[in-house]
Amino acid sequence: MVLHKYLLIMKTHHEKLSVFLDLSVVLTAFSAYQLHGTGQLEAYYTTIVDIIGDQTMSEILVAFNTAKTEASSDQKQLEQQIRIHLLSNDKLGPITRNIIKMWFIGSWYQLPNIWREAYGKSEKDQTFVVSSIAYTEGLLWPTIDSHPPGAKAPGYGTWANPPKISEV
Amino acid sequence: MRHKNRIVDHKTAFAKNYDVVIVGSGISGSIIAKELSKKGYDILILEAGPGKDLTLSGYEKYLNNFYSAVSKDNNAPYKRNPNAPMPRSVDVKKLESGKPNTDSYLVQNGPFISDFTYSRVVGGTTMHFESKTPRMLPEDFNILTRYGRGLDWPLKYEELMPYYRKAEFEMGVSGDVSSQTFSNEKAYEDGYVFPMQEMPPSYLDQCVAKKVNGTKINIAGEIRSLKIRTFPQGRNGIPNEDYKKFNNGELFRPVGAVSQHQAEEGERCQGNNNCTPICPVQAKYDARKTLAQALESGCVDILTRTVASRVVIDPVTQKVSAIVCKSYKDLDSKEYTSETITAKLFVLAANAVENARLMLASGLNSSSDLMGRNLMDHPYLLTWGLLPEIAGTTRGTICTSGISDIRNGDFRTEQAAFAVDIHNDGWGWATGSPTTNLEDIVDNKNKFGKDLRNELVHQISKQLLLANMVEMMPDPCNRITVNPKYVDQLGNPRPIVTMQIPEYTMKGIAYARQMSRQIFQRLGAEDYSVYGTDDYGYVKYKGEGYAIRGGNHLAGTHIMGTDATNSVVDAKQKSWDHSNLYLVGAGSMPTIGTSNTTLTLAALCFKSVDAILEDLKHLHSSKQISNQL
Repeated sequence: MVLHKYLLIMKTHHEKLSVFLDLSVVLTAFSAYQLHGTGQLEAYYTTIVDIIGDQTMSEILVAFNTAKTEASSDQKQLEQQIRIHLLSNDKLGPITRNIIKMWFIGSWYQLPNIWREAYGKSEKDQTFVVSSIAYTEGLLWPTIDSHPPGAKAPGYGTWANPPKISEV
Repeated sequence: MRHKNRIVDHKTAFAKNYDVVIVGSGISGSIIAKELSKKGYDILILEAGPGKDLTLSGYEKYLNNFYSAVSKDNNAPYKRNPNAPMPRSVDVKKLESGKPNTDSYLVQNGPFISDFTYSRVVGGTTMHFESKTPRMLPEDFNILTRYGRGLDWPLKYEELMPYYRKAEFEMGVSGDVSSQTFSNEKAYEDGYVFPMQEMPPSYLDQCVAKKVNGTKINIAGEIRSLKIRTFPQGRNGIPNEDYKKFNNGELFRPVGAVSQHQAEEGERCQGNNNCTPICPVQAKYDARKTLAQALESGCVDILTRTVASRVVIDPVTQKVSAIVCKSYKDLDSKEYTSETITAKLFVLAANAVENARLMLASGLNSSSDLMGRNLMDHPYLLTWGLLPEIAGTTRGTICTSGISDIRNGDFRTEQAAFAVDIHNDGWGWATGSPTTNLEDIVDNKNKFGKDLRNELVHQISKQLLLANMVEMMPDPCNRITVNPKYVDQLGNPRPIVTMQIPEYTMKGIAYARQMSRQIFQRLGAEDYSVYGTDDYGYVKYKGEGYAIRGGNHLAGTHIMGTDATNSVVDAKQKSWDHSNLYLVGAGSMPTIGTSNTTLTLAALCFKSVDAILEDLKHLHSSKQISNQL
């Protein structure tokens, strides 16, 4: 069984975290270096596991590894495989989209009702900001060459200059 | 700035004889306390909020609450306080026909449902205000005579001019006087400049100005040309050399963060794009800056967690003899004690809604029956579009520039004047952007990775939101009332709001919508403004619907006038009925024009200080005479 095989491979927390980081790079188009720089990797991982459980998190990581294997280093293919194995999957899709939003804005969103009916209603599954630091570390702000409102201000008068934004 | 801790306990406060008791530590109460303390009078401020915010660490807790709050509304930094509740926009819901909204602190009768808020904490609503500080126009003071609308003030603009200057000093105004030219009358002394230079216009302002400046509009038959100009604001910038001649030869010194210890913070705005709800570095003026100076004098005490509950009148002299207050133990506790505080003179500075609420709860409708009536606010119509180019939206202070050319003119005989803000924070106020954009792009547009990032830029960095702040005239039917049926946890009556947007204002709103369309056309911007019939602020006028927002510029509830039959207070904000009582703040204003109310109410409070000092002199000399007898 495929699932069983990968679970055996990703034994340690460290290994799982590393796959979660790889997945996050693909979902956000920020580099591993930049994601590490937010200081939020571990916090996000444990927050999500806390809500959905270790088993479901493993399913996500396994699905990602499958997508990677099937894409065999082709970026376009990888994106398609992510849609097949994660984003269009009724169980893993909503969680994957939550992972994206968490990176960009620092919040967990309560899973859709249909998901909760099918896969269980965790008490911790409420919409909340992971932490005050998570809010200020959201990737949305550097994406638009700005800063989170109320933090990391660029200094007096900087707002008079044009932003530096180019397509990625 | 450093200050002494003068938060007193109840035992100390109730054992002491104060000259003046002030209800509320917002800008009105703080200015009056500071000015009276200079003459050595003993003053007690009653504050309903918990009062943990006079230290840097207390303030930073507010900031952290804001960061971790899911809803980042105006009162997000403050914990819910059932003992001194405050209105929150997140609590507002559409009116069901036939019954008032009673679920949250404000009971709303409608027919217009407003999402206005205010804050019941140390510093009052200046804690979340945007700190835009335009003066009212000379024409606003006799608008009835001039345009046949609203009411004339019992004082002239010229009488308020020196007090406007005091208020601009107190609030540390940055701005450019030479851009404030929409009055046909002399509005400033020759050569006058604001304490600090204008805040630089944002890049977004510049993108808009490039294409909008010079646009001709037709407003009720008058042709006007539009120009994007900066707003004066109470925010630390670069001191203006030319201000020296208005400041005894000294350069203006910006007032930094409030703290009990040395704190190098708040000297200059850093562009946090978060003036509302909370400036993280305290570069924005808030009333704690004035309060800290009052406390430093040694004459001012503040009693926190204490809600003024009833004003007691001496049946013989008709003077205020005492205020009954309820002091609660803490936010989560229902426990409280009821106590009575006396003084020679009393000042209610709790804001337009709370002043009226307290008086009405005390059975004091005023001999004119105008207490709580003439409730005004600035209704806002938001219009929003997407510019063809990246304009750097979400950078700078919340607002640096806008359009003021339609603040005055003969058209005011027909329709309301208005002012337009360019919101540097984008569509947030209207749509919840940028969070809602992210949700839409991920959950509905099914994007991730690079496509997601590019789409975020496209949807956010080109946003333009125009906030049209429309004039509203006094109408006695728009009012605050109380009813023993609706009380808070301490048993204090909650304010009941009855409000309708007058046709005069609706005409202005309809015109503002039309003008936005012209502006968006000039800019080549896509107009995304939509107003849903299910919106709580939805109003239909002449076949078009509008979602109207509250402006938090509450006024008129203890209106000022020429005698006891047409008003609650005189031009000095002194009660006609009770000779040792002042009701201060925007509640005294007969009209509000198109100016954010704070600067004007601050000027009125400086004016009241002169009258209060005169009264106290008499009270003291009469006391000395009675002692000698």
